[in-house]
Amino acid sequence: MIAATPRWVIAATAIFLVAVGLYMLVPLLVVIASSFSTSAFLVFPPPGLSLRWYGEILGSDAYLNAGWTSLKLAMTTVVLSLALGTPAAIALSRFRFPGRSVIGSVFLSPLILPSLIFAIGLLIVFSRYASGPSFAGLVIGHTVITMPYVIRTVSANLADIDPHLDEAARVMGARWWQRYLLVILPQCRTGMAAGAFFAFNISFDDAVVALFMRAPNVETLPMRIYSTLEFSPDPSVAAVSTVMIVMTMVLVVLLNRVFGLSRIT
Amino acid sequence: MHQLSVRSVIKRFGDVTVLEDFDLDVAKGEFIALLGPSGCGKSTLLRIMAGLESLDSGAIDIAGRGVTDLAPENRNIALMFQSYALLPHMSALENVRFPLRMRSKLSREEQREKAHKALELVKLDHLADRYPRQMSGGQQQRVALARSIVAEPDLLLLDEPLSNLDAKLREGMQVELKRLHESLGLTTIFVTHDQSEALGLADRVILMNRGRIEQQGTPEEIYRRPRTVFAADFLGGANIVELDVAKSSRSWRGRFADGTEIPVASAPGLEPGKHKFMLRKEAIAFNPDKSMTAIVGTIETQNYLGSQTRSAIRAGGVELVAVTDSEKTVTKQRETRIGWRPEELVPLQM
Repeated sequence: MIAATPRWVIAATAIFLVAVGLYMLVPLLVVIASSFSTSAFLVFPPPGLSLRWYGEILGSDAYLNAGWTSLKLAMTTVVLSLALGTPAAIALSRFRFPGRSVIGSVFLSPLILPSLIFAIGLLIVFSRYASGPSFAGLVIGHTVITMPYVIRTVSANLADIDPHLDEAARVMGARWWQRYLLVILPQCRTGMAAGAFFAFNISFDDAVVALFMRAPNVETLPMRIYSTLEFSPDPSVAAVSTVMIVMTMVLVVLLNRVFGLSRIT
Repeated sequence: MHQLSVRSVIKRFGDVTVLEDFDLDVAKGEFIALLGPSGCGKSTLLRIMAGLESLDSGAIDIAGRGVTDLAPENRNIALMFQSYALLPHMSALENVRFPLRMRSKLSREEQREKAHKALELVKLDHLADRYPRQMSGGQQQRVALARSIVAEPDLLLLDEPLSNLDAKLREGMQVELKRLHESLGLTTIFVTHDQSEALGLADRVILMNRGRIEQQGTPEEIYRRPRTVFAADFLGGANIVELDVAKSSRSWRGRFADGTEIPVASAPGLEPGKHKFMLRKEAIAFNPDKSMTAIVGTIETQNYLGSQTRSAIRAGGVELVAVTDSEKTVTKQRETRIGWRPEELVPLQM
């Protein structure tokens, strides 16, 4: 057989890919390895292996409370992002109106602009018009930074569907709300699932907005990790991070099972 | 009473007039083909009937009810899209049940039963639980067809019903459509740019050109007696010959470009002077008998098509194309006599 690509190019490509893969995986591996440490300090490599720090975090009210807060926050954010982002995406893809592209860009701007800007703006607004940062403030901040993902994924989804479906449904006697519920919304399922996945991860993972909107009695998991690292760094941080990694992977597998990941990304 | 009446409909897109003062009456149970080249307004007309397109002036009545200002969901019609437009998240059965869900007061079980019967009609009841993506194009079309007939619409509209199928499926579907129409008697209007589809299916063919009716009639009328060059050409293609017509004593005679003279059947409106005539390719025969108009021609090229052979013949100073049964085709000699029955030479309007 005559090779289309010289052998050394194939070899170099393989080495390159492995190197990039390692580069991306090493931090994860370091964190995971550290979480099984016997040491009281966050050191690498761990001197011995144990599940000690998993026991510690499960017994720690601070971590459990922070975890519960983050979970509530992420869930609320997902629901709001879907509730606002899906109709926005449908409106943008179905209707042609003046200023449509401007509105589209505004909706997607949190994807490009640093979330820091939104965090500062939110802080100012909440300090001025509400009684300072709060859980509600966090929800609003997270909804702003996650909704663009929902809009993106649902729009991509809508771009693929047969434009005649809506007309066909009309001719079959479906009124506007029936078309919305029975025809359009079901077509958005995969996009909504993907958007929800991004929204959940971003909210659960966010430290920037959470830092600015830190209220005295509201501490999210990333904030808990951050302050632990700052004041008493121990492998519990790695253990929590490992739990978060596993959680994300489970979500990915679930999504893939139900919707097929290739159709989402 | 007419099942559908389109009265003086005008439709413009910007400066372009798509339908110009269009009138059409369709009787109950009729099977109508709207035939024409792309851009002739046939698809727009179909969408206007469905209510998906507004009209600039005129009126539409369906089943004796004025529907001009009625939204599609309030007209009791069905439209089968060229892309089928099946709902991808519903099974075949649920797709077929959809119009009943929207329109009928039957119980869920009765609806399912009715949908199943419609699938049986298109011989697809064994795939009732399949999803559209699990079916072939031909099967999807049958589902779309079942969905269109299930709610017994006042008017069944089909947009290019056969154009997405391959040649073999198309033939089968033609038979199926005709059978379905005969058994259900639904007033059906379909749009096509394919003359063989229009001739093969419809009771009446409406040939459209530039937003107007060019000619209408039964398939046979429209094929055998086209009135214009456009109609003759669009339906199957034909030889268009120009003859210089003159009246000698009692009968008409026409002269070819090279001076060859032939008798021409008298027709209303025929006047002396240059006139165009249509001569179908398959009307020309080799070795003409005495009842035929005969001239001498030279065979230039021949293409064997299987049961038929196509010959390009130089005769009367023009090129004529003849499609004849292969076994009756002269192939050996170059110079030969050809002819046609006098009524096959059809005078056309300019």
